[in-house]
Amino acid sequence: MAESKGRPGSAGQRPTGGDKAVATQKKQYFRRKKVCRFCVEKIDDINYKDVRLLSSFIAERGKIVPRRISGVCAPHQRRLNDAIKKARNIALLPFAASI
Amino acid sequence: MRIYEELFVVKPDAPEEELDQFIEQMKSVVTTAGGSVDKVDKWGKRRLAYRVDKYREGTYVLFQFSSAPETVKEFERRLRVSDLVIKFLTVRIDQTLKRLEKRKKDRDKRAHRKATAAHATAQPSVAQQMLGEAAPAE
Repeated sequence: MAESKGRPGSAGQRPTGGDKAVATQKKQYFRRKKVCRFCVEKIDDINYKDVRLLSSFIAERGKIVPRRISGVCAPHQRRLNDAIKKARNIALLPFAASI
Repeated sequence: MRIYEELFVVKPDAPEEELDQFIEQMKSVVTTAGGSVDKVDKWGKRRLAYRVDKYREGTYVLFQFSSAPETVKEFERRLRVSDLVIKFLTVRIDQTLKRLEKRKKDRDKRAHRKATAAHATAQPSVAQQMLGEAAPAE
């Protein structure tokens, strides 16, 4: 009896573990590799006056989109940061936008 | 001599003539100090991203000039004192321009080298083919 009870239990655990593994594999499969837009499009100048370009890197609330989400490389993110902060200073971009 | 860029916001309700007069005045500030004004660009009325001194929009004016660092101090002082201007930003751009020029040059050079390299490798291959064809015949 103990043996038969133990088997279904262990058998029941295994499939759930398998499901989890499948789910994580799927997730990894769908994750696309992010690339830096400035490197790909060869944009040398990240200018604070280019509101259209900069606004694609700020979130709805006016926050700067982090690198891990936008995929921008470190040197370009640094320049982007500077540009956005300058643009905020002269009221081209908001510090905090109301939705 | 350094190259500067000055972007300032003028009150939206300021009359056009007054603004032109003010721009002329600022030009003379630079020229009398021994600098030169390269570009003056009026962007016109724009909505501000946030409220500044109870104004929701403003007229943007872009100045580009090359001058000594002391001139900028005077320029900024004038802007601060002026009733018309509600916001201003000074950016030194000569280093940025230099960097951009260098990057462009590097990029062009690389493209040129790539083109010539492709050209150079294409020709010997033809020559080698001819040699290869000629060798068995001998």
